[in-house]
Amino acid sequence: MPAPSYLFIKEPIMNDNKTYSWHFAIGAVVLYFVFFFLPGLIGIGLSFTDWNIYFDKLKFVGLENYKKAFTPEYTQYIGHTIYFTIVTTLLKTVIGIALALLMIQSFIWAKNVQRMVIFTPQVMSYLVVGLVFKSMLHPTRGFLNNALRAVGLDSLAKNWLTDLSIVFPTVMVVDTWKGVGYIMVVVIAGLLSISDTYYEAAEIDGANFFQKFTKITLPLLLPIIVNITVLNVTYGLRVFDMVYSLTNGGPGNATGVINTAVYKEFSKGNLAMGTTLSNILFIILIAMVFVVIKSMENKEVQQ
Amino acid sequence: MMKKLIALALVTLVMMGSVFANGKTETAATTGKAVTLTFGSHQSGLPNTGIVQDIAKDFEAKTGIKIDFQISPDAQWRDLIKVKLDSGEAPDIICVDTPIDLMSSIKMAKYSVPLTGEEFYNRMTKESIAAVSENGVPYGITFPGPKMWLVVYNKKIFSDLGLEIPTTYADFKKVCQSILDAGITPLFECTTNGWHQVLPLFETGGLWLKDDPEIYNELNANKKDLDDIPQLLEIIKEQKEFATLGYFGKDYLSNTWEDKIEPIGTGKVAMVIAELGIKTEIVKAYPQYKTSDFGQFVMPWADNQIIGVNPASNAYFINKESKHVAEAKQFFEFLATHENLQKRFDGQIDIASMCWPEISTRFSEEENAYIKSKETARVVQTSVNYIDNQWMDVGKDLESMFIGASTPEQVLQTIMNRRNEQAKLQRDPGWN
Repeated sequence: MPAPSYLFIKEPIMNDNKTYSWHFAIGAVVLYFVFFFLPGLIGIGLSFTDWNIYFDKLKFVGLENYKKAFTPEYTQYIGHTIYFTIVTTLLKTVIGIALALLMIQSFIWAKNVQRMVIFTPQVMSYLVVGLVFKSMLHPTRGFLNNALRAVGLDSLAKNWLTDLSIVFPTVMVVDTWKGVGYIMVVVIAGLLSISDTYYEAAEIDGANFFQKFTKITLPLLLPIIVNITVLNVTYGLRVFDMVYSLTNGGPGNATGVINTAVYKEFSKGNLAMGTTLSNILFIILIAMVFVVIKSMENKEVQQ
Repeated sequence: MMKKLIALALVTLVMMGSVFANGKTETAATTGKAVTLTFGSHQSGLPNTGIVQDIAKDFEAKTGIKIDFQISPDAQWRDLIKVKLDSGEAPDIICVDTPIDLMSSIKMAKYSVPLTGEEFYNRMTKESIAAVSENGVPYGITFPGPKMWLVVYNKKIFSDLGLEIPTTYADFKKVCQSILDAGITPLFECTTNGWHQVLPLFETGGLWLKDDPEIYNELNANKKDLDDIPQLLEIIKEQKEFATLGYFGKDYLSNTWEDKIEPIGTGKVAMVIAELGIKTEIVKAYPQYKTSDFGQFVMPWADNQIIGVNPASNAYFINKESKHVAEAKQFFEFLATHENLQKRFDGQIDIASMCWPEISTRFSEEENAYIKSKETARVVQTSVNYIDNQWMDVGKDLESMFIGASTPEQVLQTIMNRRNEQAKLQRDPGWN
């Protein structure tokens, strides 16, 4: 039985009047315009004012908020955010792919149960994870240090959330622990969609594991990797809950990110500064996602 | 085509309706459901013994009105409640710190219901009513008496080591070193809650006033700034020195205020900056002690010998936007009955007095004699603008200094910058 014609609405062969009318998009366009586009535009406009909770009348201040946003007080937050994004994206992608490769091997026992265990942190609230880890990482009463001491590894027991040199890596590791299960599941779906015939052909040609991984698996996973990278980058740049619940940006401002600064500005009543920082975050986000997608597209073309 | 357009319009209307629908329109009156009042507070806003929750259960049994307590961490509450108030999502009853009439206070007069004429104001102290009032109109109800933070110490540890109460910073350091040498943490500190480490800076305002009785007014008029007060930078440096010398112990950056009793009760820590009510808390948890086993002395930072008195404390306010103002007032009246005031005081063992003269204080003769022997002065945060509202930020600044990410001078500069920024934002006449 031939497929119904409406399944092919994009095909050039279709007659224009058989496609959905543009009117059907009006509802979505109106909602998008009112709730997403318009507030965005207003936000950009307000970042050039002194909008705050104390006065109703706005004063135009030009680029003052943006100049302030690039002083060391705020650039540290921007730096932390980018650092967090790059490291967590790399960690989640690499560990996610490694776990996915492991979890499709035939020698793994009770694969589905193990996949579920690794995925479980993903369904937990960030606040819960943050508070639980805060307790587990306490230097004297925490589970981690007590466990390390119990097995004689006293030298590895650290002040995980208060030592300036390891606090940010700790936050990033906890975040990776929570997010890596999701990446693993997505990559497993991608791996299972790769036909065995490629691997069989490669084996006949004498390819080893590494060659099969770099010449077959990675190229065919590229669309999936693009997706997970975009997801990780957008998440990393917007991170708030995990940092807020685990360290509240501390000790001092050592783990403060753009969104904790935005929250702080809003709570101080300096709404314009909060909006300015949000706009800067938006620009960084667009730029990073654009670079990621473009770089991945180029690789696809090269192949 | 027409049908399509009508269907489209209907779908759009349904979607818009679902987006704009607001569950808040449902009230107790229209649904016949029992009223539940939401009560937002920070951890320190309610006694940690749960006595207010117990009184709320009595209230529910009597009236059928339920109180839903929503408690947030201290370090997050001030920011959270301000965001909630501005976005119109604040709970029915709100607990915030007072006074509310400083330029830098949370504008409770704007957000809460005036309670003029309530009977309970005839029984509260004048100072406490002033703390919950703006332009003579009272808005809230408060319970604790004036707060005084002193160094509470374990007398046995002091006598075993042959130590005397220090009255200067140099003596304080010597005492701490002797205690540390004995394998005991000298002074309990906790930075996680965000506020405790800030007390030495602003509870010692008596030092500022001694040099210049008009300093608070001059700071508020922007005629002087915080770097004109040498003792402030000195005290910040002393905090850094204490941390470096290990007098706060190893875990002070991970400790919480709720952790304080165990190390003191077990003798791991010799001193803590606290209100005198802490002695009762320790004795309750460790019955082998008597309250007289603990003594107190003025925080000798920068050789201070003046007790800082904070006449204000946290207070409860009724959200102007609440749909249950009458029920909330009923709850306040219930809390203010003599029986419940006494019940609350008996159940809140960490305070030594109430701002309700009908309730007798818990100060011992020794404590009363010590307090009377010392000068007292109003603390900075209830008199100087833009200090209390950055209290938690200063806590983080000090944390930064403790971990070596900033210097005492930078901490002071940051506090000053924040004051200037906030004053300009509020178009304070002294700054514009």
